[in-house]
Order: sequence, then structure tokens, then C-alpha cells
Amino acid sequence: MSTQTASTRDILTSPIFSNNPVAMQVLGVCSALAVSNSMQTALVMTLAVTFVLVFSNLIISSIRSLIPNSVRIIAQMTIIASLVIIVDMVLQDIAYELSRQLSVFVGLIITNCIIMGRAEAFAMKNPPHLAVVDAIGNAMGYGVILLGVAFVRELLGSGTLFGHEILKTVENGGWYLANEMFKLPPSAFFLIGLMIWSINVIQRKRG
Amino acid sequence: MAFKKDSFVGTMIFTVTLCLLCSFMITGTAELLKERKLVKKRDELKRNVLIAADVDIADKDFRAIFDKDVKSMLVSLDTGVVEANAGVLDFDERMAAINPETSSKLERKKDKAKIKTRADQARVFKVFDDNGTLTSVVVPIYGKGLWSMIYGYVALQSDFNTIENVVFYEHGETPGIGDFLNDPDWTDKWHGKQIFDANGKVSFKIVKGGAKAGDLHGVDAVSGATMTGRGVQRAVQFWFGAQGFEMFFNKLKASEG
Repeated sequence: MSTQTASTRDILTSPIFSNNPVAMQVLGVCSALAVSNSMQTALVMTLAVTFVLVFSNLIISSIRSLIPNSVRIIAQMTIIASLVIIVDMVLQDIAYELSRQLSVFVGLIITNCIIMGRAEAFAMKNPPHLAVVDAIGNAMGYGVILLGVAFVRELLGSGTLFGHEILKTVENGGWYLANEMFKLPPSAFFLIGLMIWSINVIQRKRG
Repeated sequence: MAFKKDSFVGTMIFTVTLCLLCSFMITGTAELLKERKLVKKRDELKRNVLIAADVDIADKDFRAIFDKDVKSMLVSLDTGVVEANAGVLDFDERMAAINPETSSKLERKKDKAKIKTRADQARVFKVFDDNGTLTSVVVPIYGKGLWSMIYGYVALQSDFNTIENVVFYEHGETPGIGDFLNDPDWTDKWHGKQIFDANGKVSFKIVKGGAKAGDLHGVDAVSGATMTGRGVQRAVQFWFGAQGFEMFFNKLKASEG
């Protein structure tokens, strides 16, 4: 029983840091670059990905013994795509402005490799409760990177966090000259690169 | 008999069931959100009409103001006759414009706004002040700009000629160049301009290089956005011309004055 709980915790925590899907497996980078220029969009994107990931893992894992081998990828895709469409519709309903900012990237969750990857690599082989834990772990791993990048980009790029002013910019009569580069996607490349580097260094030190 | 998932029949049964379940999931969600979407659409319409009519809605309940001060109606564009007063808010102009039964094809020469087909009916909103006097009439217009259809509302004052205000609520023009359409500094220039000249001809225009002081019909164009400006000008000319609301306004002028 003790090994069971240990492995459950492992499933949850390892994707957050040591086996982070974005930083270590370099999956789902496209959306991480595009929507990480403000905390708000990053948070909403993380929630959307979490929802899709948890339910796709849950559904696929529950019916994994029924999925014919020859059509399993298509079957996973169908389930993921349906979930994404639902998320998109709900988001347009409750937060129309935000969904416009996220534009195509909500729809592109379908092609986010993290979700396909977890479905194929984990949910197809493990029982539903573990699959859900794995989904939460991976979604958190994605979210940590996304929010971390967004934190730096929004703070240095606009001097705000969640739209609240932290560093008073020169335009508003303050002292901080906003670095426009952080508003553009390439800055996310640098930041994710730095994150990958630092996680690697820490990992190596731990042995 | 056990379910053989990898047999041909098993695969077929699985895929068909999965597809059905997924489509039920999606249509179910869409159905649940449908009513809320309609309410949002109505709110959007009410807000835009009030802004076009220059009614102050800041910090106020615009729904209540709309219900109290605005009379909406559906008019026939060919005859100018009011054909309905109920259900106007949910009238779908875009569907009406492409449905062959409720629209007419426009000849290329007459199709100034480049909309190809025009709905036979259109919405008109009469806005009244607290004393019940008509202050403005808001009509929807749309036409092709450079890339996209530009949708807006124009409000005329009670002389049915002078523009009160204008709102463009949807367009896909070049970001940063064509989106002056949403700039209040620009739409404010429309205030006080006249659509028709003394002979009743539609003379409104967007003037490149800037309208001269005292120009009754001209609004400044924005440099770099020639096509967007031209699209707006043509849309106004179309919708206040013979294919548009001309008959309606003629009838209105005859009855009011």
C-alpha cells in the first residue's frame, strides 16, 4: 500500500519539476510563447488546458479497454477535440474579451502535444484515478512554466501583474521604462530557455 | 458474446458510438449556452444603439433606458412601411440578407456597399427623450471595407438629415490602421454633418486630405486607410440611398413634418 501512495505522489509531483512537460520534454511550447505576455491570459490558458487534460485522461483511461488499437489515436483526438470545443464555447460565454485575446490558442489546445502525449503514454495504460492525478500534475507543470514566464513578461514588459500596476511606468509619470521586448513572443523563448537551463543545473547537482 | 474490440465490427461500433457521444456533448453545451448568448446579443445591440443615439449610459442601466426610450421596428426597405414592432431585437439581419426568400440580389452597378444581397427588411430604432419627443432615428448600415464587412449604426437627428453619432461595432480592417473606426475622436467628427444636400441627394463623403471648414457633408479621411474610408462612405451612400432607407425616411418626413 505504501508503494502505491508513493507512486501516486510521484505521478503528481514529477511533471511539475523534474519531468516538466514544457521544460524537460519541450512540449506545448507554441501556446506557451503566444499567451504568456500577461498573467491573466496565462492563467485562463492554464485552466483551459487543465480542464481538457483532466477530462481527456479520465475519459480515455475509463474506456481504454474498449478502444480498438487501430483507431486509438483518432479516438483520443475526437475526445480531446470535443472537450476543447466545449471549453471554447464556455469561455466565449463567460469571458468574451479574454477569449478574444486568446483567439486561436484555445482551439489549438487540440494540437497541444502534452494532452495527446499524456493520453497515449499514460491514460491508455493506467486506471482512471492515476490518470487524473497524472493529468493534474502535467497541467500544473505546464501552468508553472506559463505563469512563471508570464510573471516576468508582464512585470518587465508593462510594469503590471494581473493588470495591477506594480512598477510605475514612465508614461504614467513613474520611473520605470517598460521593456517592450518582453511583450513580444521571442522574449518567451529566452525565458523558457533560461528555465530549462536552470532546471537542468539543479537536477545535475542533485545527481 | 464478448465485445471484440479489434474486430471490424467492434471497431465500427466503437467509432460510431464515440462520435455520437461526442456530438451529443457538444450540441448539449451549445444548447445550454444558447439562451445566454441571445441575451448577450440583445444587450450588445441595446448598448450600440444607445451609444449611436448619444444617450448617456455611463454608470446607468442601459437595458432599462433602452426599454423606456427606444422603439424598435422592422421596416420594408422597398416600400418604407413599418411591418413589425415585436421580436425586432431577435431579428437576424445577416441570415435575412443571405436567405433568398427574405432578400433580393443587387445588380452590380447598384451594389455600392458591395454586399451582393440585401435583406428586404431592416431594423430601425426611434429614440425618444423623457417628454416623448423623437430625438433621433438609428439605422444599421454595413458595407465592404478593404478586407472585411464593416458593421455600424448611424443616428440621425429629428430633421432626418443631420448625423447625431455613429458606431462601428464590428470590422476586420487592418489592426493599427483601419481601426480608427472605433476611435471616438474620429466618430465625433460625424456629429452635425448632413447626409442629404438641399435636393435630397445623398452627399455624405469621407474627404481625403481633410474636409474644409464649413463642409456640411464631409468627414476627414484617415491617411493610410483609403479603402476603409471609401468603404464607409459607400456604405453610408448605399444605406441612405434608394436601395436603403430612402423610402422609409421619405415616409417619415411626410408624416412628421
